[in-house]
Amino acid sequence: MIGPFSRRSFFRKSAAALAGLTLPGMLTECAPATKLTKVAGEIKGGAASLGHKLRGEHALFKQAPSQILNYEYVIVGGGVAGLSAARWLQKNNIDSCCLLELESHVGGNAASGKNEVSSYPWGAHYLPLPNLDQEELLKFLQETEVITGFNEQGLPFYNEYHLCFDPKERLYINGYWQDSLIPHFGVPEEDQQQIATFLKLMDTYRKLQGSDGKYAFTLPVENSSQDKEFLELDQVTMLDYLLSQQLDSPYLHWYVEYCCRDDYGTALKDTSAWAGIHYFAARRGVAANAETNTVLTWPEGNGWLVKQLHKLIQSKVCTGALVYTIATEGEAVHIDFLDVKSHTTKRIQAKKCIMASPQFVNQRLLPEIPLRDQNFYSMYSYSPWVVANLTLSKPMERKGSPLSWDNVIYQSPALGYVHARHQQLNSHAAQQEKLVLTYYWPLADKDPKIARREALQKGHDEWIQLIMDDLTKAHKNIAQVVEKVDIWLWGHGMVRPTPGFIWSETRKKASMPFDNKIYFAHSDLGGVSLFEEAFYQGIRAAKEALGSIAS
Amino acid sequence: MFVVATCGLIYELVAGTLASYLLGDSVTQFSTIIGVYLFSMGIGSYLSKFFNRNLIGWFIQIEILVGLIGGTSSSLLFLLFEQVESFRILLYLLVSLTGTLVGLEIPLLMRILQGRFEFKDLVSQVFTFDYIGALLASIIFPLLLVPNLGLIKTSFFFGILNVLVALIVAVKFEKETSWAKFLKISSLATLALLLTGFVFSERIMSFSESLAYRDTIIYAKSSPYQRIILTKNDRELRLFLNGNLQFSSADEYRYHEALVHPAMQGIKSPRKVLVLGGGDGLAVREILKYHSVVSITLVDLDEAMTKLFSTNSLLLDINKQSLLSPKVKVINADAFQWLKEQKELFDYIAVDFPDPSNYSVGKLYTNSLYKLLYRSLAPKGIIVVQATSPYVAPKSFWCVNTTMQSVGFFTVPYHTFVPSFGDWGYIMALKENSYQIPSAFLPNLRFINSETFRQMTIFPKDMMALEAEVNKLNNQVLVHYFEKEWASYLQ
Repeated sequence: MIGPFSRRSFFRKSAAALAGLTLPGMLTECAPATKLTKVAGEIKGGAASLGHKLRGEHALFKQAPSQILNYEYVIVGGGVAGLSAARWLQKNNIDSCCLLELESHVGGNAASGKNEVSSYPWGAHYLPLPNLDQEELLKFLQETEVITGFNEQGLPFYNEYHLCFDPKERLYINGYWQDSLIPHFGVPEEDQQQIATFLKLMDTYRKLQGSDGKYAFTLPVENSSQDKEFLELDQVTMLDYLLSQQLDSPYLHWYVEYCCRDDYGTALKDTSAWAGIHYFAARRGVAANAETNTVLTWPEGNGWLVKQLHKLIQSKVCTGALVYTIATEGEAVHIDFLDVKSHTTKRIQAKKCIMASPQFVNQRLLPEIPLRDQNFYSMYSYSPWVVANLTLSKPMERKGSPLSWDNVIYQSPALGYVHARHQQLNSHAAQQEKLVLTYYWPLADKDPKIARREALQKGHDEWIQLIMDDLTKAHKNIAQVVEKVDIWLWGHGMVRPTPGFIWSETRKKASMPFDNKIYFAHSDLGGVSLFEEAFYQGIRAAKEALGSIAS
Repeated sequence: MFVVATCGLIYELVAGTLASYLLGDSVTQFSTIIGVYLFSMGIGSYLSKFFNRNLIGWFIQIEILVGLIGGTSSSLLFLLFEQVESFRILLYLLVSLTGTLVGLEIPLLMRILQGRFEFKDLVSQVFTFDYIGALLASIIFPLLLVPNLGLIKTSFFFGILNVLVALIVAVKFEKETSWAKFLKISSLATLALLLTGFVFSERIMSFSESLAYRDTIIYAKSSPYQRIILTKNDRELRLFLNGNLQFSSADEYRYHEALVHPAMQGIKSPRKVLVLGGGDGLAVREILKYHSVVSITLVDLDEAMTKLFSTNSLLLDINKQSLLSPKVKVINADAFQWLKEQKELFDYIAVDFPDPSNYSVGKLYTNSLYKLLYRSLAPKGIIVVQATSPYVAPKSFWCVNTTMQSVGFFTVPYHTFVPSFGDWGYIMALKENSYQIPSAFLPNLRFINSETFRQMTIFPKDMMALEAEVNKLNNQVLVHYFEKEWASYLQ
């Protein structure tokens, strides 16, 4: 007789016992960490962009347009300037208006995206509290309930869900996440002294007014004081300016360069001192319920502001419209464009055209008109940018401050990353087990043309390798926890305020309309790629266009 | 032989200890476990007569099985404790299985050794070793093993010893055994498994964790939101979330009576109640003492918490099954998000969030959240917020007060002594400056009455009101205050 345990039942029991032991999670946790060789995601923008793809359509562009449309106003470009112009026309009861946008979405540099984890920005991602004299911008923020009221002193109350939550910034330096981006952890006393001196100097500039009663540095750029002593700063580089002030601390230089790369995509040696100081001295925004240096931000970055603008003028927007020629003809201006969806060419006969497109695009679209010659366009240069959105599980952290809104690694070639879910209310660590980090990288270390060409040649894998190499310094296991990396390559990300550009006679006249038909609205006209500037330029151009009709 | 005997007793001790940890009442647990174990050994001994051939092979198999089952028993029991209903069945099943197998060991061993020794020597030797092993086990178990290895590692360790015996026998008696190869392989595989278990037992239940708690851990679970730990000693049961004490069953009534009754007594027949946090159901237990209450909405983020406190019999004893009351509606959601979307008005709102020790909890103490609370409160309603210790963290406590006032509330700060927490503070908030200390409280309370509450509203000199900033989403000053104050206190 065989015992109570037959061999089969022995097997079965062992198997059951073994199965009991494969505790949930245990085996996966013990599995050796394999380095991901292939991370999902794609490259958008750059060579993949519509503009690039349609370069070979010249034959089509030579034929007569298949359809003629009539509008009073046409706006070319659906970035912030174009949307702002459209809003202004709308406010002035202009109904016959069409905004042509090349991409399938509006927003330009303030574009945004969304996946199952979070919304996230593809570019501009915050707005500093506007100065109180930026009345139109304040009004717009009121219309969108970002500003909920004013106190007795006239200071705005901001909607606290839109003010950047604490913790705001941290810097990974000397093996530690310090709070604030200004280096202090492990920084020698003398360097800290220089940083303090510099910041004090910038604070002086912030308050400084010229003999014309205007602030030395303000937004829009054109409202800045025209005193010679300030404008002269545009002739030197920020690097030379610092050295001339006996400020040579490498920590300070890193920080100021970080700021220049952040706002302009340019290195210290390529940035005009006027522009460099402008970063620190042009913002005087105050609030009834927040500190001066606070910023407004949203999970999708300035994409949120774009959505608010877009809501107002939705019916006027025509996306997937590749404008290829603009010409004046008698009383009219002809805007020829390819309707990407139907793949047919169309012409709009308009009374006025507002070019809310950057100057390197205008160069291809406009006939040669006074002032806008080769020399003019050659003054404009644009820094290429890489923006990557990383979807990942929480990576390992180093010591110091916890995950903040803006997270920067000292001496990194990039600008660090922004935590897209930071403004979500359900911020419990577990509800945010999956993160989207928006990684910013202005390619500022080389001549923009070379940097752009090199960037276009890099594949998805190469970018990921570079990004992981950078982030691994602060997050040891990031390569293992990253699930998806989408990359946006901005070939012409930001206009570069190189020395001599902003206060050149050419730049000052760049926004002059042509023939009472063509008007110009783009942040690059001011020489700085900022929301406030774009918003202002849109309104200014729309006002000019309206004014000339009335007269 | 000696090892085998030691192992046998160890499993019994592990089961007994675990049962008393998890189920309480150690006399009953030990007594029934020993009974069942010995009875099962009897069954094993009885069954031994059905094994007639290949005794060594069977012995090896049994050793492997004992090692496997005994070795993994404590992990299995810990991990499966959540299924409370079937836990006893599982416990006794494992105990009787181990007992039966151990019961088979000695008779089989004696029969294997039968021809090699004289009978009287055999009996004498076998039982001598058996009893010495038992003595050793009973001494090293409480003195060395539990304090140093913990229960899980102890079981794995002895499981390994059992399997090693199997392996040694299998190698030594290779020629006398059928299926020798199979036996060697299966013992090696089991050995590997147990070794893995031993090494990774910290993941099964963090070993260091059990060191961090003074008392025995009877429940440990990582929910998506937090690590939930229950510990128990003879006197009290304690709940820890992420290592922070939430309550002790010995004195939680003080905390919860103070949280609920001063406000509830101040409202004329409160009907609709909201509890934010408080997934343990203890505040709800107090609220249910008011018969005017028709509905209680409890919003707690963590389903694991509310589920645990709705099913576990030990915990149901403490919260008097409050979460199972038909008046109670449990919602597992983020309080901030939920408040933002809800439109109802409540007469009483108890806000019982964890302390603001990090930024995500800090958001729940901001003026933005209090504005939402203001909107959700009936005109004559009252809110009470637990507001950390005004003794340890006075600035934090008064910051909560200032923040509540900043959105238009009139506040009544008060504090009381809860032995396991220390001096603890609350902020009561109303839309009108109309609060009067109630002249009477419910008669069936253990702690609070009118006179006691009057004392609670008095703040001695070392807890006097301090100037503090308003806590906002964009400054999170409270988290900074809190960190600073508690860090210096705990130094």
